Amino acid sequence: MTQHLDDDAELYALGFTEGERSEEIEAHLATCAPCCERVAAAESVAASLAAALPPMPAAAPRRRAWWPQLATAAAVIFAATTALEGNFAQVASNRVQRTDVALTALASTHFAHTTLTSRPGLIVKAIYSRDGAWAYVVASGAPAGAHVVLQQGAAQRDLGALDDGAPATLFIHEPGRGDEYDIVADGKTIAHGKPVY
Amino acid sequence: MALDEAAFNQAYRAHAARLRSVAYDVLRDREAAEDAVHSALTRIWSGGSYRADRGALLPFLIACVRREALDTLRGSKRRHLREVKVAADDPVSIDETAAIDPIEARRIRMALDALPDAQRDVITRAYFGHRTLLEVARETDLPLGTVKSRLAAGLRRLHTVLSPGVAPS
Repeated sequence: MTQHLDDDAELYALGFTEGERSEEIEAHLATCAPCCERVAAAESVAASLAAALPPMPAAAPRRRAWWPQLATAAAVIFAATTALEGNFAQVASNRVQRTDVALTALASTHFAHTTLTSRPGLIVKAIYSRDGAWAYVVASGAPAGAHVVLQQGAAQRDLGALDDGAPATLFIHEPGRGDEYDIVADGKTIAHGKPVY
Repeated sequence: MALDEAAFNQAYRAHAARLRSVAYDVLRDREAAEDAVHSALTRIWSGGSYRADRGALLPFLIACVRREALDTLRGSKRRHLREVKVAADDPVSIDETAAIDPIEARRIRMALDALPDAQRDVITRAYFGHRTLLEVARETDLPLGTVKSRLAAGLRRLHTVLSPGVAPS
């Protein structure tokens, strides 16, 4: 097939072509740079549309139970590796009994932690796996509704809001690797720190 | 240039949540969505179909996963999912607060608002309303060819609006 794709470039990018027509398009794309560019442009728009979709609902309870445990384990390690606040360490130590299994698992993975640079009265720590599979952010003194934002090259991703606990926490499943963790409140970055993988 | 394994694994880890949400949006079934993501990625990896000239990796992955999910939906085994889904999703709307990426969702909603009504209507019905193009044609009383051309033109215009530094034509 030698004819250019025209409207089919956009329809293909959105998945609205099927069967033989899709195969013809893929064969054409293997040899036609202008149509590749056109499909790539359409796919970049489709990716933006996809960002407006809601996430897939949480996994079934059995699979889901693992990650909060791991998050709790991360909090325990956080408390053990820093003397941030005495009461937080006490809260964390109370959790140890429940998290032996998760701790063992966590200890066998590669993780690191960093303290974010922030204004006085705000203390934020990010604990993250080196392969980008998970991260856990703990903040003391953060304003309500503050979000965690991950900078990845030119892109930035809102990873969600810290909860209203004391300290406030957010566990992120599969954040990927990033260049910088930011805490953002009312449109302003109030803490920032660079992970090292 | 073929995609190397390390880059592929990193991209998958970084974007798995978004890829699953794309598949789930089409299929409305967790297991089927996981299967579609896995099948799409296996197909890409084993077939070596990604090349640098195909554009950025994430949009390519998202498009592949969506095509895989739609192909699954078109298969006879999954038709029951679609019947449930279309009824449940009416009317068409974007919920920014529930989006996987609220910042990008807001940007896309504003870009959609800037489109001519006829193009925005077709895109929202077909993409966010989960209609087939034939269903959109029936709902809007338009010929199928017109639905296709409006969808394509709308997507091209969105690309212009969403691309930084390029004034909308």
